[in-house]
This record gives sequence, structure tokens and C-alpha cells, in this order.
Amino acid sequence: MNYLHLILRSLLRSKRRTVLTVLSLAVSVALVAVLQSVLFTLDSFTKNPNASNRIAVRHKVSITNLLPIRHADWIRRQPGVEAVMGLQWFQGVYIDRSNFFPNFATEAEYLTTVFREEIVDYSESQFRDFMRDRNGCIAGQALADKYGWKVGDVITLKSDIFPITVRLTLRGTFRSRKPSDEQALHFHYKLLEEGVSYMKGHIGNIWVRARHPEDVPGLIERIDRHFADAVDPTTSETENAFQLTFLKMMGNYSAMIQSITAAVLVAILVVTANTMAMAIRERTTEIAVFRAMGFTGLQVLGLLMAEGVLLSVLGGGLGLGIAWLMAGGVRQTAGTFLPYLQDFTVPGEVLMFCLHATMGVGLLSTFIPAYRATRRPIIEGLRAL
Amino acid sequence: MIIRCRDISKSYFRGSLEIPVLQGLELEIPQGGYYALMGPSGSGKTTLLNLIAGIDRPSGGHLEVCGHALNDLDDDELAAWRAAYVGFIFQNYNLVPVLNAYENVELPLLLTDLSRSQRRERVLEALELVKLADRMGNYPRQLSGGQEQRVAVARAIVGDPDLLVADEPTGSLDARNAEEVLGLMERLNREMGKTILMVTHDPKAAQHARVQVHLEKGVLERTVEVRR
Ligand SMILES: Nc1ncnc2c1ncn2[C@@H]1O[C@H](COP(=O)(O)OP(=O)(O)OP(=O)(O)O)[C@@H](O)[C@H]1O
Ligand SMILES: [Mg+2]
Repeated sequence: MNYLHLILRSLLRSKRRTVLTVLSLAVSVALVAVLQSVLFTLDSFTKNPNASNRIAVRHKVSITNLLPIRHADWIRRQPGVEAVMGLQWFQGVYIDRSNFFPNFATEAEYLTTVFREEIVDYSESQFRDFMRDRNGCIAGQALADKYGWKVGDVITLKSDIFPITVRLTLRGTFRSRKPSDEQALHFHYKLLEEGVSYMKGHIGNIWVRARHPEDVPGLIERIDRHFADAVDPTTSETENAFQLTFLKMMGNYSAMIQSITAAVLVAILVVTANTMAMAIRERTTEIAVFRAMGFTGLQVLGLLMAEGVLLSVLGGGLGLGIAWLMAGGVRQTAGTFLPYLQDFTVPGEVLMFCLHATMGVGLLSTFIPAYRATRRPIIEGLRAL
Repeated sequence: MIIRCRDISKSYFRGSLEIPVLQGLELEIPQGGYYALMGPSGSGKTTLLNLIAGIDRPSGGHLEVCGHALNDLDDDELAAWRAAYVGFIFQNYNLVPVLNAYENVELPLLLTDLSRSQRRERVLEALELVKLADRMGNYPRQLSGGQEQRVAVARAIVGDPDLLVADEPTGSLDARNAEEVLGLMERLNREMGKTILMVTHDPKAAQHARVQVHLEKGVLERTVEVRR
């Protein structure tokens, strides 16, 4: 027998209570882990290290106001600019609204330059076919796989925001480093411009690629200053800041997730504290016997705290296992309408956070009853029955 | 003298109300003595035993047990002193229910730096002494009361303490089991030289001791040598 053995045995004293506590901890920790992972995944889009060269330019009034495409021509001439591309969110529906994926009307000739870090692998000849076909489109490989598209297939998209339906021919596919970057479809901006009269000469966003990341702040300043007095003034920001603006349109999800996390942590603190208080109270005499035999207050405190931490870490570990299993489900469900979640996993950071949080819960919840038990005079503990 | 109580007093407080239990108590017990502490209920027997065993502190007076002035030890030193010198036997056995007989006996040895195999040797020796080596895998609920108390005796002696304290060790046992435990304690005193201080109500149990001391209202009334 050693101390670990002793702690494990004590934990199994009331199997039912221990199992119930571990299960309720597990469910709670799984919830926290999934929510925190969602937050982490979304955050990673606003902290994309590959985006450091890129600027998103939009209308100063709102994200839905259109910019003249001429703005792009002026920006293209500025020093330090590598490429500029107009991009319009099309919101085309493929067969049915449940088949959601992002699709764009794009100045496609600049696509592989502006998004060099995302479109990493593609066939030159396929892209040439795409450039030659005004009804052509290209799609991420994961997206094409999902719908079983082959090059040459016709894809019909009915826009939810423009009075137009486009019939596109898939001319090529591309691969990215992350599945979430392989979810998009691009077709030619010209097609939209011809089909929708008010789109003539207009575009939703302009994406700018600077030659050097250090030029980005200067360019942002210069673009916005130049168009400040124009009929259509601009707001330029880094791509990461733009993503944040875009995500914030869904509401302040971050504050919501953090408050749910806090509430769940408080709840498991209460559950664990209750279990440990019960476990310690019913052992009053035993604790006194241990101390009479020569265990110091600190040693008894250590044994009880280890028991509490073990209990909560067991629950936390099980919860993380559940969260890991749930991650696949999140990818397949939430990922279909929120492409950001296509490569959703429980990241190491969240794993560590949950382990530390459950250890903290174990320590906090056990400390007060354990400390009180070790402060109690031995003779009182021996008399209590 | 292994135990020296000089002018020991002890009061409990209920709020601001002082309840004196022991007053100016003098007691000396020689090495190897077997003393039965008797007296009416509430006379302070348990209180005195707890003071001598170092799990409570006197309100006044001087206490020297096993060569140490207990007044001078802080709580942790006192814990280490108990681990080294005192074995406890309780009326309700107080075995740890989630540990089997072997593990219960091994428990105090976790405080020593004995190796696993040394501990095993000691535990088996103690269990053999109480004739329960064949039950070492049993949990307390799988033992009779008498067997439980014998495991408790093994646990008390496994660390080879000089002093055994027992508060009504036969109080929960029937006559036959009581006799067995008393016989065991007698052997521990006679053959192994353990000094024993036993609180008891039972005159038959007290007959096993060598000396009976009677406590009455917090003072020692008389001391009787047991003749056999
Ligand atoms: N913690 C305490 N607080 C207040 N009074 C106490 C406390 N412990 C004991 N007493 C009182 O001290 C007196 C002596 O108690 P003690 O337990 O020493 O008696 P005892 O001789 O062992 O009695 P019994 O034979 O019933 O076990 C009793 O009047 C008891 O009520
Ligand atoms: Mg008593």
C-alpha cells in the first residue's frame, strides 16, 4: 500500500457518489471544452498569421454598402501594393438552403496572388481554363468532395441577395492547408456585373495584398485618407480585424461563451465542494484516528486535497474525452452553416485550460472542508460518532 | 518512570463557563506497567488518558511521557512523538473500512521510512501475534467485532511503541471476545514489555492489569495492586 492507493480507496468509499460526481463534472467540462474550442477556432480566424500582408477595404458606412471598383484601380497603383482584388459575397444557394458554403464573385485573376497562403495547391492548366470561361468557377477540394463535383460539372447557384441565378461550370479545384479554407467557391465578377445592373462598376470589398507586412499600417492610412472626401469613403483594416468585424455581426459570442464557462465552473465547484464536504464529514472519526496515529494536520490535509483533485481531474479528463468525440459532430453539423468550424478541434490550449480549471476546482472545493477537518481537535473527532 | 504526571489540571470550557475535570493530579507509571484506570462515568478517565497519549493538552501541570516533556512539543512534534511512542486501541476499533486487515495494520508504517518489504515483515508479524494472518485480506465488515479489535491491536503495536493506551477496549465485545483481547494485551505486557494504560468500567477486565487506579471527581482516590 502507498499513499496513492490510500487516496484511490478513499475515493471509492462511496462508489455511487463518486461516479455521479465524476459524471456531472465530465458533462460540464465537455460543454466548457467545446464552447472554449469554438471560441478558440473563431479567434484563430481573427489571428491568422498568414493574413499579415492583407488589407480588407469596405465602405465606411457599412459592410453591405458597395464600393466603386475604380477604387481598386487607384489602390493598385500605390507603392508597396502587390495585388488588389475585388470580392463580392454572393450568397448563392446550391439546390437547397441547407447546403451552405461561401461563394464569391471575384476578380479571379488576382486570386492566387492575394490568397497565396490559402490557395496552396492547384493545377495551372485548370486555372487557365477557369480564366478563359466566363461561366467557369473554381472550388476548394473539400467542398467539391462534399458534393461529389467533378471538373466539367455544372453548378447552379441562386443568390439570396441578388436577383440572379448563375449556371457555373467547375473548371478546377484547389487545396489549402486547412479544411476550412477549402470551403469556398469563386466565379467571375464580370458575370455578376453583367447580370445585375446596379452592380455595374461596384463591388462589396476590395482585398489588398501589401508586399511587406510592415507596409500595411501605412497603406491603410493612405487609402482611407485618399477616399475620405469621396462620395464613397472607405474603411480599411487588416484582414484579421475585418474577420473580427464580420464575426461580431453574429453577436458578442465571446462574452456569451465566457459567461457560460464561468457559470459552469461555479456549478462544478459547488458540486465538487458538496461531494468533498460530505466525504470529509462522514470521515470525522477516521481523520481523528489518522492524526492520533501520528499523521500531522498537513499530511491529512494533503491526502484529502489529493483526493479532491483526483476526483475533479477524473471528471475533467472524462469530459475532455467526451469533448474530443463531440468535435467530430461539431465539424459535421455546425461546420456546414458556419464554415469557420470546418476544422474545429479541441486545441491543446483548451485542453490545458480545462485541466487547470478542474484542478483548481478540486483544490478550491476541498480546501475549506479539509482545512477545517484538520483544525478540529483530535479528541472531538474521536468523540463524534 | 515512563509516565510522570505532576499537578495536572484540565478544564473544559462551555462558552465562558469553566468545567474543571482534573485537579492537581499526580500519577507515575513505571516502564512495563499495566495500569487499569477506573472510576465512575464522567470522572475524567478518558480525559486523563488523552493527555497522557498526547492528543489533548493539560490546562496546567507538567507531563512527561516516554522521556519527553509533552508541554514543550508543538503540534507537529507531538504528532511525530505519538507515531514513535504510542499505540492506540479504541472501544469502537476504528479500523478504516475501505482498507483490508493487512492495509489497516500497515497504515501507521506509512509514516516511517521502512521499505515495502520491511513493512510487510512487520505487518505479518503483528497479524500473526493477534492470530489473524489468515484473515489479512478481509475488510473490517468481513470480520467479527473481536477480530476487528485484534486487527486494531495489531495496528497499535506494528510500529513497536513503548506505550499502549486503550479506552474501554472491551466495551463493545461479548465476554468471550473480551477475554481474548484482554489475554492478548496481557501477553503484550508480559512478553513484549509494553507499558499499558487501559480505561475500563469492567472489574473483570481490570483484573488483567497489574495495578488499578481509581479516579473520583478528578483526583486519584486509591491505587490497588492486583494479586493473582
Ligand atoms: N470536550 C468537552 N467539552 C466539555 N466537557 C467535556 C468535554 N470532554 C469531556 N467533558 C466533560 O468532562 C468530564 C470528564 O469526561 P471524560 O470523558 O474524561 O469522562 P470518563 O471518565 O471517560 O467518563 P466515561 O466513563 O463515561 O467515559 C465529563 O463531565 C464530561 O462531560
Ligand atoms: Mg470515557
